[in-house]
Amino acid sequence: MTDPKAKFGYYVEKRTLEATDRPRRFLEAFAAVLEHSSYHLPLDVYSRAGARCGQCAADCQLYQSTGEDRDIPCHRSELLMRIYRRYFTPAGALAARLGDGFVLTDEYLDGMGEAYYRCTACRRCKLTCPLGIDHGLITHLARWLLAEIDVVPKALVVATREQLEGVGNTSAIPVPALKDTCEFLEEELQENFNVEVKFPIDVEGAEYVFFPAVSDYLLEPDTLMGNAAVMHVTGGSWTIGTGNYDGINYGLFYSDRMMERIVKNEVAEVRRLKGRKILIGECGHATRSAWFVPTFCGPDAPEVVNFMQYTAKALREGRLPLKRDKIAERVTYHDPCNIARAGRITEEPREILRAICSDFVEMTPNRTENYCCGGGGGTVSVDEIRAFRTGPMGRRKAEQIRATGATYLVAPCANCKKQLREICEDNGLDQVQVVGLHDLVLKVLDFGAASGEARDGGPAADEVSRLAKADARQSAEHVRRCTEGGEAPRWLGATTENTAGI
Amino acid sequence: MQAWIEWARGPVFIFSFSFMVLGLARHVALTVWEAGRTMRRAGDRSLPLVAIGRATLKWLFPAGAIARNALFSSTSVLFHAAILVVPIFLAGHIALWTRAFGIGWPAIPNGVADVLTLLAIVTAVALAVQRLTARATRAISRPSDHLVLLAVALPFATGFLTMHPALNPFSFESTMLLHVMSGNLVLVLMPLTKLSHAVLLPGTQLISKVGWHWPLDSGSRVGAALGKEAERV
Ligand code: SF4
Ligand code: SF4
Ligand code: SF4
Repeated sequence: MTDPKAKFGYYVEKRTLEATDRPRRFLEAFAAVLEHSSYHLPLDVYSRAGARCGQCAADCQLYQSTGEDRDIPCHRSELLMRIYRRYFTPAGALAARLGDGFVLTDEYLDGMGEAYYRCTACRRCKLTCPLGIDHGLITHLARWLLAEIDVVPKALVVATREQLEGVGNTSAIPVPALKDTCEFLEEELQENFNVEVKFPIDVEGAEYVFFPAVSDYLLEPDTLMGNAAVMHVTGGSWTIGTGNYDGINYGLFYSDRMMERIVKNEVAEVRRLKGRKILIGECGHATRSAWFVPTFCGPDAPEVVNFMQYTAKALREGRLPLKRDKIAERVTYHDPCNIARAGRITEEPREILRAICSDFVEMTPNRTENYCCGGGGGTVSVDEIRAFRTGPMGRRKAEQIRATGATYLVAPCANCKKQLREICEDNGLDQVQVVGLHDLVLKVLDFGAASGEARDGGPAADEVSRLAKADARQSAEHVRRCTEGGEAPRWLGATTENTAGI
Repeated sequence: MQAWIEWARGPVFIFSFSFMVLGLARHVALTVWEAGRTMRRAGDRSLPLVAIGRATLKWLFPAGAIARNALFSSTSVLFHAAILVVPIFLAGHIALWTRAFGIGWPAIPNGVADVLTLLAIVTAVALAVQRLTARATRAISRPSDHLVLLAVALPFATGFLTMHPALNPFSFESTMLLHVMSGNLVLVLMPLTKLSHAVLLPGTQLISKVGWHWPLDSGSRVGAALGKEAERV
């Protein structure tokens, strides 16, 4: 038997190593999922009708760069479909009797663990499949089943554990630290733009309850300041809830069970605050997982809005005051698959970017056909596979970015940002700055006469953001020292471990 | 020999044809029922129907796909067009229906049928070559993928020979028997193999969306079924 620890050390937690009987437990989980969820239908239709034409391979950025059989989308999906047919269809049972010797083994499951975390579930390959076979769906299901036998990247489990059973969010930021960070960001806005922008906390009855990727509080002060500034100038009614302020949902990447719990926690926080809508910050997977709110909570659950949709609406209605000088540097936009693949959010960011930049260029291909950053499906959290992510998995993206010649690469997604920064570092794209959309909006937002001299006399926008970032780190350090007792080191400890995973 | 041909055209054909119709109808019925059940159980019952319709039409009439991979797509489209039109609209086939059931429909001229038959044969060979040489396709091909293609090509090759006795090195009767029987074989294979995509394809785009519509509380129900409600993350 292969030694799972040596081979897959990064995604198998300790307790798995002692576990036996994995094939049986896998099949039990499979049976329960077929019974209680809806995967039976696509599995059945795909395995009856799949044409094996091989066209899907051409669309996967991984297969494009490795050319390995195991990276053909249909080849990977077959790993799971084979189990489905053998153990859950009469024809498969018959074939087994007639001598098709397939039996689910431990080694086979190890192979699946490896295979299904080489796919980012970006669903690009669905576009070329004549049958519209959704390999992202198969990967999603396979990962869930694997997670039920504890084959799952440690980074994802550790963060989810922190969120559901620890401090309450994936970066383990305690409430006092959150409040401090918000205050700090308010001061920062005051200093640099001379405006009194609020980060409202625990306001009851607000229209929007805000759930960014919680790591933004540590890593993306500009994005958050941009978010708050937009709310300020548009007079938006919003709040951050101290009961739950994390939009991250790694359940989307490895388990519907976790996904449901995290989604329900978001809804619970909105209800607690008597808010009306879920406002997701700049994060692709946080948005897509929140779109599952009605799935898990029924049709009466609160509506989900992505921040870019909010800002674009304000822009369209003429409620977004912008300075006359647009951003002059060349800007390009990365479509996060989770919001763009199905065409749900592609135009809003472009409307905004065209309004605030004078040199906006598209990557090709773009929108629904855009290449994944290469860190999707939670793989960006796994630092051990950085070379894989920025190499074979990210090469296409690097080429796309290089071809634009852009200075700013806008990626409205915490996952994409981390991955794209690493891609740029590892592929010699040093001139590219990966930023959020609202980072740029903040630069050109016109706070009106009230903002006083800061607009003209203040430091240049770039300088501001550089300072803000440096300060945010200092403040994180400061916050850590201020938060009481045992909590602080834990936060920091967890931070170094977890923010890697954001 | 003539008796064999009559047998193949008569009872065997009736059996194969009914088998195909019933088998495909079963596929459709099961799929429709299951899709309906999924949506009835789903927490989120909204579906992006316009996008689904557009994707479905795109792949039923895949003009757009040709731009993506011109060689494969155009081959595949021509192949499918030819193998759909010829069996249904060949004058000789319609005559059989008229003889048996008294029904008929307009036929395509035999010259056109000839061209389409040759097209079917040529494109089938091209697809076989593609299957054997294109790396990704070869890697995921099962034996049945090669055999099904052969089975589909056979009635066209034999049919062409029966229509052009001058070119046929074999006896007319044996060619005709092989033609009818291979045609029957394809009918039987329709519901049993991936050929069922003939009826399932119009629904697959929809199925791919419906598959994401899980029942309310499906996550926790699975947890309960596995006895994991109280288990820590
Ligand atoms: S979902 Fe994305 S990464 Fe996975 S096989 Fe398809 S194209 Fe490749
Ligand atoms: S494109 Fe679709 S039908 Fe063709 S091999 Fe891939 S999954 Fe199968
Ligand atoms: S990290 Fe971003 S680009 Fe990559 S899969 Fe997620 S949303 Fe797509």
